[in-house]
Amino acid sequence: MNRNMKILVAGVGGQGIVYLTNIIVEAAMLSDVPVSVSEIHGLSQRGGVVTSGIGLGTNCTGFIGLAGVDLLIGLEPLETQRCLPYLHNNSSVIFGNYRVQPYSVNAQMAAYPDVGLFGKYLEQQCREVVFINQFPESINSVLYNIFLLGRATRMKDFPFGAGILEEAINNVVTGYYKEKSLMAFQLGVAFEMNGQPA
Amino acid sequence: MGNEGIARAAIEAGVDGVFAYPGTPSTEISEIFNHVNSFQSQQANIEQYPELTRHNIYFEFSINEKIALEKAIAYSIGNRSSMCVMKNVGMNVACDPLMSVTYQTIIAPLVIVVCDDPGCHSSSNEQDSRYWGPMASVPVFNPATPADAFVMIKEAFVLSGKIKLPVIVRTTTRVSHTRGVVTYGAINAENHEAAFDRLPEHINIPARTATAHRRLLDKLKSENVLSYLALNSRIVMQSDAPELGIISSGVSTTYAIELLSGSACADHITLIDLGLIHPFPEQEVIAFLKRGFKKVLILEELDPIIENAVRVISQQNNIQVDIYGKGFSELVSTGEFSIDLLTKVFEDFTGSVLRKTERLPLTNTSQFLDKLPPRPPTLCAGCPHRATFYLLKLAIPREQSELIMCGDIGCFGLGALPPLRMIDTINHMGMSISMAQGLYESFNDSGKSKKVVALLGDGTFFHSGLTSLVNAVYTRANILVIIFDNRTIGMTGHQSHPGASRASKYHEIDLPNLLRGLGIEFVETINPYNIRESFDKVNSGLLFNGVSVIVSRAPCIFLPDLSDHKARNKKIAVDPSLCNSCANHEDIDLSCSRCYAPKNNLSRARARLIADVSVPGNEELCPANICNHGFFNSILEGDYKAAIEIVRDKMLFARTCGDVCHRPCELFANNTNVVPIKKLKHMVSSVDENFRDFSIPIKRALDSVKKNKSVAIVGAGPAGLSAAYDLVQNGYSVTVFEKEHKAGGMVTFAIPEFRMDKAGYDFEAMQLEQMGVQFHFNAALGKDLTLDQLSNDYDSVILAIGTNKAKTLNLIDRNIPANRRSDALAFLKSFNEGEKKLNDGDVVLVIGGGNSAIDAARSAKRLCPDNTVIVTCIEEEGSMPAFAEEVMHARAEGIEFNCSSFVGACMFSENRIVASINSFESKVLLKDIHCDHIITAIGQTAESGIAEQLSKDDSLRINTDNNYSGYKNVFAAGDICAGNNMSVIGAIASGKKAAIGVRKLLEGYKFDYEGDFALDRLNRNPMPSIKLRETIIDNNIRQEIEQYNLFQSCRKCNHCIDNFGCPAMVKVDGKVQIDMNRCTQCGLCIDVCPNKAIKWVYENELEPVTAI
Repeated sequence: MNRNMKILVAGVGGQGIVYLTNIIVEAAMLSDVPVSVSEIHGLSQRGGVVTSGIGLGTNCTGFIGLAGVDLLIGLEPLETQRCLPYLHNNSSVIFGNYRVQPYSVNAQMAAYPDVGLFGKYLEQQCREVVFINQFPESINSVLYNIFLLGRATRMKDFPFGAGILEEAINNVVTGYYKEKSLMAFQLGVAFEMNGQPA
Repeated sequence: MGNEGIARAAIEAGVDGVFAYPGTPSTEISEIFNHVNSFQSQQANIEQYPELTRHNIYFEFSINEKIALEKAIAYSIGNRSSMCVMKNVGMNVACDPLMSVTYQTIIAPLVIVVCDDPGCHSSSNEQDSRYWGPMASVPVFNPATPADAFVMIKEAFVLSGKIKLPVIVRTTTRVSHTRGVVTYGAINAENHEAAFDRLPEHINIPARTATAHRRLLDKLKSENVLSYLALNSRIVMQSDAPELGIISSGVSTTYAIELLSGSACADHITLIDLGLIHPFPEQEVIAFLKRGFKKVLILEELDPIIENAVRVISQQNNIQVDIYGKGFSELVSTGEFSIDLLTKVFEDFTGSVLRKTERLPLTNTSQFLDKLPPRPPTLCAGCPHRATFYLLKLAIPREQSELIMCGDIGCFGLGALPPLRMIDTINHMGMSISMAQGLYESFNDSGKSKKVVALLGDGTFFHSGLTSLVNAVYTRANILVIIFDNRTIGMTGHQSHPGASRASKYHEIDLPNLLRGLGIEFVETINPYNIRESFDKVNSGLLFNGVSVIVSRAPCIFLPDLSDHKARNKKIAVDPSLCNSCANHEDIDLSCSRCYAPKNNLSRARARLIADVSVPGNEELCPANICNHGFFNSILEGDYKAAIEIVRDKMLFARTCGDVCHRPCELFANNTNVVPIKKLKHMVSSVDENFRDFSIPIKRALDSVKKNKSVAIVGAGPAGLSAAYDLVQNGYSVTVFEKEHKAGGMVTFAIPEFRMDKAGYDFEAMQLEQMGVQFHFNAALGKDLTLDQLSNDYDSVILAIGTNKAKTLNLIDRNIPANRRSDALAFLKSFNEGEKKLNDGDVVLVIGGGNSAIDAARSAKRLCPDNTVIVTCIEEEGSMPAFAEEVMHARAEGIEFNCSSFVGACMFSENRIVASINSFESKVLLKDIHCDHIITAIGQTAESGIAEQLSKDDSLRINTDNNYSGYKNVFAAGDICAGNNMSVIGAIASGKKAAIGVRKLLEGYKFDYEGDFALDRLNRNPMPSIKLRETIIDNNIRQEIEQYNLFQSCRKCNHCIDNFGCPAMVKVDGKVQIDMNRCTQCGLCIDVCPNKAIKWVYENELEPVTAI
C-alpha cells in the first residue's frame, strides 16, 4: 500500500458490517498499515442503517466525507445507493444483491430502487464495479459479508492479498463460524461473475 | 475502539471498582468490566490465570447513575480506587453527589467517564458535559482519539489521587466509537486495602462549606493541576510562519490533522490541542496567542466553551488577534463536525482549496438519491414489545379514544413510530409515570377526569420509574402503568437489572410483589403473545379507578431464554391465495367501495380477536354478490357511508333490501350464529344523508366508457331496474319500458307499506334517470311494443315483465261469490291503494304459506283490529315459505295459523263461507271454519301471452324453438325465469345475470355472473324455508356488532404491514412473505392476520437446508 485509502462498508444491522470491518482492521495490523475506523450503529440491532468507515494510512481517519470513499463494500443494494454521495470517479464498488426491504417499501410508501439500473450507472461513473447479482445457493446469507470480501481481493485497488485476509479471519473469527467463514471467503475469491449487472 | 482503550487504561491504572449505568455511547466500557468481573469470579479462571485474577475488579450496573456515582464515591472513601461510567444525560441524574463531594473529599482516585453524543445518534439531547468542570469545579479531560483517551484515563487516576477530587474524562461518540491503534502498557495489579478514616470532611455541614468552597478552588490552582495542563496542551501542527493559529479540542483535532497535514496551507498553520480543558490552560493559551497570529480559529463541537475562555483571556491580556469561532463559516453549536463541514471551514479560514481535484463527485446522483426509501429503525422481528403494542392497538382504538399514552426511554420508544404509533410523549428516563400522573391531575382539576396511560420498560422502571410510581399511589392518581418487562435493559445491549438479575450473585426483585407491596390493588402480569387473554386484562386495567399496573412479561429475543426457541420442525408461512386477495371477485375491475386504511383493517383484526361469533363472509350466498364482509367491516369501522356504497357497488336497492330481503346469506347450514346482514343494511340505509347521496354510482355511470350499444329493458320491477343499473354503469345506453305509469313493478303494489319504505324504493328506482337511463311508461308489451320490433331496434333486449297474474283455486272460484273472495295480489294492491274495505269483526281466511299470504293476512288484520284472520297452509309449522320474522310478527298481531292443512271443501250459505280444513297428511277433516272472506295466495303466473311461451337457457337467453332461431339478443330476467314469484333479491340477481348475458353478447365480457351459485340455489328452492329464530339485534346495533367477526380475505388489506410491521414480513408482488432469516417463530402474526392467511407449516412440508 503506497497511499492512503478509505473504505466504507454499508448495510443493515445484522449483516455483519462490524465483523467485516474488524477483519479488514486485523489485515491492516498484520500488514503494519496505520488504521482507524469510525462506525455509526446507533440502532443497528433494530434494523437500521449501519456504516463503517475505515481509513488506511498515516493521518487517515475512518471519517468519511463527500466523494471521499475509495472502495465501497455494499452488503445491501439500497444502502449501497445511499452511499452515492461518498463515491468519486476513481472509486471502486463491490456490492451484492441481497435485499433487506425496509418498512417504507413494505408499506408501499416507497418503491425499492432498480438495482440493475444502479449497477449500470456505477459502471459508467466509477473505476471498477463488481456486482454479485446472485449469491451462490451454497452460502448462508449471514456469510455474504465474508464472501464479498473474498471477491473484493481480486479487485484492482484492493489493498490486501487473500493470504493476509485469511490470516485475519483466522485471528478474528472464533468458534463455530471460523471454518465456515474461511470457506465462504475462498468461494468468494474463486467466484466468477456469471453476467454483468442485471 | 475508544471505549476499549478507556477500559484498558483504567485496568492499567489499577482501578478497584467500576460502577455504571449503561447508555450509548458509553456502554462498551462498562461491558468490558462486566466481562472482567465475571471472568475473575470463575474458579477455573482463578486457577488457570492467577495473574489475571489476582487483582479483583469489582463491577456493577447500578440501578441509576446517581446510585452509581454515590457508590463510586463511597468506594473511594473506603480507600479503593473507582471509576463511574455513564452517558451524557446520566450526569444529570448523578450530579447531586458530584456537587457535594467536591466540597468534602475522596480518598482513593475516582474517575468519572461521561460520553457525550453530539448529533444525538442515540440520546435525548446533545448536552455538553464539559460544563460539569466549571459547575462542580473538577478537572475535565477531553480526548481527541482513542489513543488520547487511553493516556488521559491514566493521567486522570493519578491526578484524582493527588488532589482528592473526582476527575471527569469526557468523550464524544466519535472518540468512543472510533477504532485506532493503541499501545497497551503494563497492568497495575496492586490491591488496595480498604480503610476508613473518620475525617471531619466526611461530614458535610454548613459551617464547613464556605471554607470548603475556597479550598476546592485552590485545589484547581495547585501545582499538580498546572503540570497536567502543560502536559495536555500540545502543539500538534507547527509552522515557523505564525500566520494562522488553531486552538482545538476533542475530535476536531483529529479532523484538522487529517485535512490540513500535507495540504498546501499546512506551512502557515500552528495548531494547539487542549486535552485538559478545566481548569482552563490559561498560561498555555496566552503563550500560544502571543505567537503573533493574524487570526486564530477555535474548533470545538457543541458550545463555545473554549472560545469564550480564549476571548476572555485575550481581552484580559490585551492580545490583539482576530478570533474565529461559532458563527464563522459553518461553525455552529449544534450537531457534530464532519469532514465536509471542516473542509469548508478550513477553506474559508485559510483561503486555499482543500478538496482533492482528482476525486470528482459522481454526476447525476439525484436520479437515485431523490427517491431512496428511508430505513427507520424498527423493533426486531419477534420482539415482545411489538406484541404488547399490537395488543394495545387493539385494546385502545386510538382513532376513537382520547387516552394519552406517555412513553419513556428505551427500545420500546420505537412504538412511537409507524406502524405502531402508540406513544404520545417521550421525555427522559422515568418521566412516563410522572407525565401520566401530572396530566391526570391537570385534567382532573379541570373537571375532566380521565385515565392516563404510562408505558415504560423494566430497566427504566427500576432506574427512576419506581419513585414516581410511589408518588402516584400516594396521590391517588388514576393512571394505568404498563411495564414492558422484557427481562433486560434491551437498548444498550441486554444488561441485567434488579427485576431480572440473571446471576446468582444478585438478588432478583419480584416485580408484581413489589407493586402489590406498594398498595396497588390492580396488578396483572400478562404474556403479550397470548393476545386474547391479555386484551381482557388491559381492558380491566383501563377501567380500574386508581393506579393499575400491568406487567407485560416476555423475554427479549436476544436473551439466552429464546436462543433454542426456534423449532426446527416447523416454520411460518403465508398462503398467498388468502393474503391480499379478493375472495369475492374473479373480475377485479368490478367497482369496490371498500375503503383502504390501516385503521379499517385494524377493526377487522380486532373483530378476529374479540368476537364471540366468527363466520365466513359467505358472499357466495348473496344472489346479488354483495361483498358481505366489506359491508360488515365498514360498519364495524363506523364508516356507514362506505357500507352503503359497497351495497350500491352491486345494486340499487340498499334500503329496500334492508326492509324485505329474505337474506339468503344469513342461512348458513348448521350455523346458529348469524351475522344480521339485513338488519345492518336497514341500519346503514336509514342514515338519510348517506341514503340520499347517490353521487358515486351516478358519477360511475356518467364517467363510464361508452360502448355505443343500446339495450331495451321491458319491465321496471327490481329485475329490470337492476339490469339497467349494471348496464348503464358499464357504458350502455339503456331504455326501460314499463306498462304502469311509474317504475317499481310488483314490489310497489304487492308488498304492504308496513313492511317497507315505499318512498325510499321509489327514490332508489328514480336514481336511474340521473344515471342516464331513459324511461317509457304506460308502454305494455303486446299492446304498445312487440318483441320483434325491440329485438330489431336495440342491440339487446331484457325481458323482465314479471308474473302478475294470480293463480286461483277452482274450488273457491266455483263456490264463493266474487265479492267474498280475492287473490292476494288483488287484495294487496287494493289495500296498498287504500281502496279495500272489510267490515269490523269479519273473519278472513287466507290460503297459502308464502309471503303474499302473510302480507295479505297482516293487511286484513290491519284494516280492522277486531277482525279474525286465519291462515291455512300445507307446509309444516316452521317450514313455511314466508319469512320467519313475518310469521312471527303475524302471530304477535293475533293471526291464527293452521299449518299442515288444506281447504278440502268450501261452501257459501247464509251469507257466510264455511271452509273445511283437512289435515294435509292424513286428509281427515280437522274442523270447519266460518268466515266472511277468503284470500287465495298460492302464487302467480305471467300475464303476457308472450312470456308464457318462454323457456330459458342457462344464460337466460330466450329461445322460442330448439334451434335458438329467434331473438338471439333477448334475455329474460325476474319472476318469469323462476316460474313463480321469487324474492326481491332473486329478482335483482336475475336482472344482474341478464345484464352479464348482454355484456357477454355485446362486448365479449369473459366472466360468468358471480352471484350464480346463490341465484341457482334460489331457483332450485325458490322460497327457502327459514326456521324461526330469535332476532339477535334490536336496539343498540352498533355496540352489539362487536360480537361478530365476519371474515374473508380482502385485496384492500395490508393489516400486518400497516399495524404490526414485523421486519420478518416482506411484501413482494402484493403478497406478504416471511423472511426466514429474521423470523423468530413467535407465531404472533398468525393471530394478527385477519385473513387467516398465515399458518404453521410442519416438517414434512419443509425443504431441507443445505447452505453452509
